[in-house]
Amino acid sequence: MFVYEKRLQYPIKIKQTNPKLAKIIISQYGGPDGELGASLRYLSQRFSMPVPELKATLTDIGVEELGHLEMIGTIVYQLTKNLTEDQIKEAGFDSYFVDHTAGIYPQAASGTPYSAASMQVKGDPIADLHEDLAAEQKARVTYDNILRFCDDPDVIDPIRFLREREVVHYQRFGENLRILTDKLDSKNFYAFNPSFDKKCFKK
Amino acid sequence: MTGRDILLKKLSSYAFASHELKLFLDTHPNDKETIKKLKEYEEKAKELMKEFEEKYGLIKRKSDDTSFWSWVNDPWPWED
Repeated sequence: MFVYEKRLQYPIKIKQTNPKLAKIIISQYGGPDGELGASLRYLSQRFSMPVPELKATLTDIGVEELGHLEMIGTIVYQLTKNLTEDQIKEAGFDSYFVDHTAGIYPQAASGTPYSAASMQVKGDPIADLHEDLAAEQKARVTYDNILRFCDDPDVIDPIRFLREREVVHYQRFGENLRILTDKLDSKNFYAFNPSFDKKCFKK
Repeated sequence: MTGRDILLKKLSSYAFASHELKLFLDTHPNDKETIKKLKEYEEKAKELMKEFEEKYGLIKRKSDDTSFWSWVNDPWPWED
């Protein structure tokens, strides 16, 4: 069950329209390392997690990522408010505008629509946690790349917040991996699937 | 920043601190000090949410609006 709160996880108030920046930041809405993929990945992977701490972490981070999706949508929405035709042309925003006007559509900066092919649910907690650790790093790199194009403090501030969350989530997933391997027979950490081959747990 | 912005920022800070402690507890469930700290932050966030809702409108749905379902009121989070 999910309960919605009518507020952002971190407040966003952007005064300056900037469709060029919106075109880049949309990648964290529906791109390969974006917040939609992150949420879907964790909330799906949790079903096959064999340890309570892991189920809790994936649930709570997966829900937080939905809050981040809302924050990215908000940034893109505010960056494309009150667009003029000249601004659309100058910023090269016309290729997005023709299909979505100023609506928020889950796509990568390249225009590729969101695809679940950018994520995996392997049903093996070691494989899945390694993907999660990589995903947090990839999202952190994307935010670093976005920051290279930002000069508006109203945008930099929430993007830095989101970047920092990737680092914290990486830490928590690292702890998850340790909690899991601590429970496994150390002779065969990486040779079995702890969700399927129950014999690999310590006796 | 308006009075609304300041209060929202304060509320967000306490709510965020609570969330952060919850994630920490997911991997450190025996940490009693953190559980105590979480309780403290959650109470503060609850107080601030009550103050915000009384002044500026709902954050959570409530059924005590008998004359008008004020949940529909602007602004929505992306419009702040």
